[in-house]
Amino acid sequence: MNPTIETRSLSKWYGNVLGLSDVTLTIEPGITGLLGPNGAGKSTFMKLLTGQLKPNIGQVAVLGRPVWNAYPLFAKIGFCPEADAFYEEITGWEFLTGLLSFYGYSRNEVGDRAAKALDIVELTADKDRRIRGYSRGMRQRIRFAQAIAHDPEIIILDEPLSGLDPLGKRKLIHLVKGYRDQGRTILVSSHVLPEIEAMTSRIILIHQGKILAQGDIHYIRDLIETHPHIISLKCDDPRALAASFVKEPYVHNLRFEADAGSLVVETHNRDAFFGRLNAVILEGGVRVDEITSPDDNLQAVFDYLVGK
Amino acid sequence: MLRTVREVAAFFFFLGRRARKVRAFLLLGLLPVALAVLVRIVFAGRSGDVMSVFQDILMIYDLQFLAVILTLFYGTSVCSEEIEGKTLPYLTTRPLSKSGIVIGKYLAYTALAGLIVGLSLAASYLVMNGRRLGELSAWTALLRYAGVLLLGLMAYMALFTFLGVLLKKSILIGLAFGFGWETVIQYFPGSTQRFSIVHYLKSLLPYYSPGKYSILMFRLEPTGPVAAVLTLVLITAVFLGLACLVFSLKEYMFED
Amino acid sequence: MATIRDKGYSHWDGTLRDRRFPWWPITRTGILLTFRKKQLKFFFAFAFVPAVAFLAGIYISERLEDFKFMFKGSEKFITINPAYFKTYFTSDFLLFMMVMILVFAGAGLVADDLKHNALQLYFSRPIGKKDYLLGKAAVIFFFILVLTLVPGLLFVIFKLIFAGSFRFLAEYPWLLLSIVGYSALLTLFFASYTLLLSALSKNRRYVTILIFGVYLFSDIIYGILFGIFRSPYVALFSIKGNLQQAGAMMFGRKLPFAYPGYLSFLVLAGIFVVSAVVLWRRLRSVEEVR
Repeated sequence: MNPTIETRSLSKWYGNVLGLSDVTLTIEPGITGLLGPNGAGKSTFMKLLTGQLKPNIGQVAVLGRPVWNAYPLFAKIGFCPEADAFYEEITGWEFLTGLLSFYGYSRNEVGDRAAKALDIVELTADKDRRIRGYSRGMRQRIRFAQAIAHDPEIIILDEPLSGLDPLGKRKLIHLVKGYRDQGRTILVSSHVLPEIEAMTSRIILIHQGKILAQGDIHYIRDLIETHPHIISLKCDDPRALAASFVKEPYVHNLRFEADAGSLVVETHNRDAFFGRLNAVILEGGVRVDEITSPDDNLQAVFDYLVGK
Repeated sequence: MLRTVREVAAFFFFLGRRARKVRAFLLLGLLPVALAVLVRIVFAGRSGDVMSVFQDILMIYDLQFLAVILTLFYGTSVCSEEIEGKTLPYLTTRPLSKSGIVIGKYLAYTALAGLIVGLSLAASYLVMNGRRLGELSAWTALLRYAGVLLLGLMAYMALFTFLGVLLKKSILIGLAFGFGWETVIQYFPGSTQRFSIVHYLKSLLPYYSPGKYSILMFRLEPTGPVAAVLTLVLITAVFLGLACLVFSLKEYMFED
Repeated sequence: MATIRDKGYSHWDGTLRDRRFPWWPITRTGILLTFRKKQLKFFFAFAFVPAVAFLAGIYISERLEDFKFMFKGSEKFITINPAYFKTYFTSDFLLFMMVMILVFAGAGLVADDLKHNALQLYFSRPIGKKDYLLGKAAVIFFFILVLTLVPGLLFVIFKLIFAGSFRFLAEYPWLLLSIVGYSALLTLFFASYTLLLSALSKNRRYVTILIFGVYLFSDIIYGILFGIFRSPYVALFSIKGNLQQAGAMMFGRKLPFAYPGYLSFLVLAGIFVVSAVVLWRRLRSVEEVR
């Protein structure tokens, strides 16, 4: 599969401040989450991808073409910016139809597309209200609508879930997954890791302008050898269970939780551990009610990589 | 490119009409009409004086104040309002050439300013020359004034568009040029006055004997009409071209 | 045995004290932010040129013998009297420079707060509209007073020092009052003028044009109306004209325009009242969107 987005040694400075450093990666169709704390370089990366900024070093290509000043490319790209900025004096309908008119559609098609986009984001009832009267969630939704109204092949979303209530977030996530199923390329940035986890397991972790890791979250976790896996077991007799593992070489640490109902195990070899666990349970004597991996998630991976 | 210019111009003309500032500018444009009524009352029966009063007094207002204020605001807005309002991505992430965006907005705002100034000019002229409306010369004079103002709007707008695209604090430089340089240099003797836009505009105005009022034509050493029009068109083309070039090459970062 | 008490919610028994000058942080921040602008420093420095020139004039006036070769027959120009002070305070250049400084110091004072919805932040703190307005106005007060009251007082002090006696003050006992009074008038007027225009829009660029444009516009209207009517009363339309008329009256000099000086005071007071009304209505912590 040809990558949709490709960067090579991409770097960007703001005077003496490093925005992005030596980023080489590819992004393929599907949902890719761009994760990092505030100031990590996510927006810089997205602005480079959407041609708003010019790289100081390196290249960025979308669909095989450099982006800077390549305006015909933008017929295939939809961008939802982070900034809460609009032409405030016009209505949602006028905003959408105005922007759609830039694509060369006929008047009827502009109207149809605008109506469809407003329907998707559930703003049809408020289409004739001025944007300055919209709530924060409505503003976020209309911003998303302008990104998808022209049916782009590539959708770049900068913090799309900010300002949305939990129901709104759920709907947008469902929407984005629908676009993935249609074979589109979606890049979503966020600093709220659980939101991205809900959408995709394919992530790019960015911190201080550098890419820390790229790929499937679980695969990345497994690669982090310096940090043993943590497994929490809720059982009726944690001490008996602990006794079964204390001599195993792949177990580094055993800890009893404050509620005295669970055992936390640290191990470098999950496969060996789970193999032994099955045997212990089958031998009888210990009932295990719940098994969780508290650090097999994005936050833990990020914390490990950042060095917290 | 033509499609881009057309669509951008249509959108921003619509947006500009919606803005509240247009009402304030329209009120500003109505002032000469009120003054024209006053002049008619004060100078009733003296048509010769009326024409020179129109040119030397009301045209000062339209040419050296209203046109400059409008073009300064709208010209610098071509780029600055998108950056201040952080709405630039809505344009630059669409299949629109950057030159097309600049030219489209330039045309939209020139049309808007032209509407305001045109209404002001037409209404005040018709009030002042109500008795002469049957004469062809009255209408040709009106067309000539309209042409001068249009050329002025185009030239000033192009210059201020360029300033707005190039500089962050374009308003101050624009004010210094529009109300400092232009006001002073036009009265310098010799070729120096040719370094102002207003010189070429005044050169195109129909000449009336100074009489008691000669502020507008004071010390004017007019350039020939063909040369004046060509110079104004050249100024417009050069600054608009430079604005397109700079906008295409420059990166714009928002202040967070 | 001591008991461990579960405190829960408890009332604070102390007394709330109001901050003595709640407007001061607003003023201090406004002045600091203004001085961060590089271009302002140039204009601000340039605005002191007349003050330096007039101060030099005061020095020369006391050392006329030494400079006689420069001023043959021109001693009149450096007679230090209330007219000299009036010339400084009402000079076109100084008034113009004050307007330019207002553009830097004042354009964004209220406009930026309206743009960023900062009024909610202000009024959710223990400050009222009066404190907010006073804090903002005080930023303008600072810049105008530095260009008016401070040089005015320095002129008097240096005149006394160079003359080596208090004769000057004895000759013109009310001069200090004129300096303070006219400085206060300029300060109050420009503060209300600037805040009024800054409150009219969220767009700082537009306000910059308004501050400059309205000042210029008033002069142009005066010129046009004078061309039509040839009446001195049309000078009431000119901000500069009114300030100069009021200044001449306060320094006891011949009025530049042939109409009663109190009319100019009325015009300036009218602008102040309009400004107060508009500001009071415009400044709300919650914006009503219709």
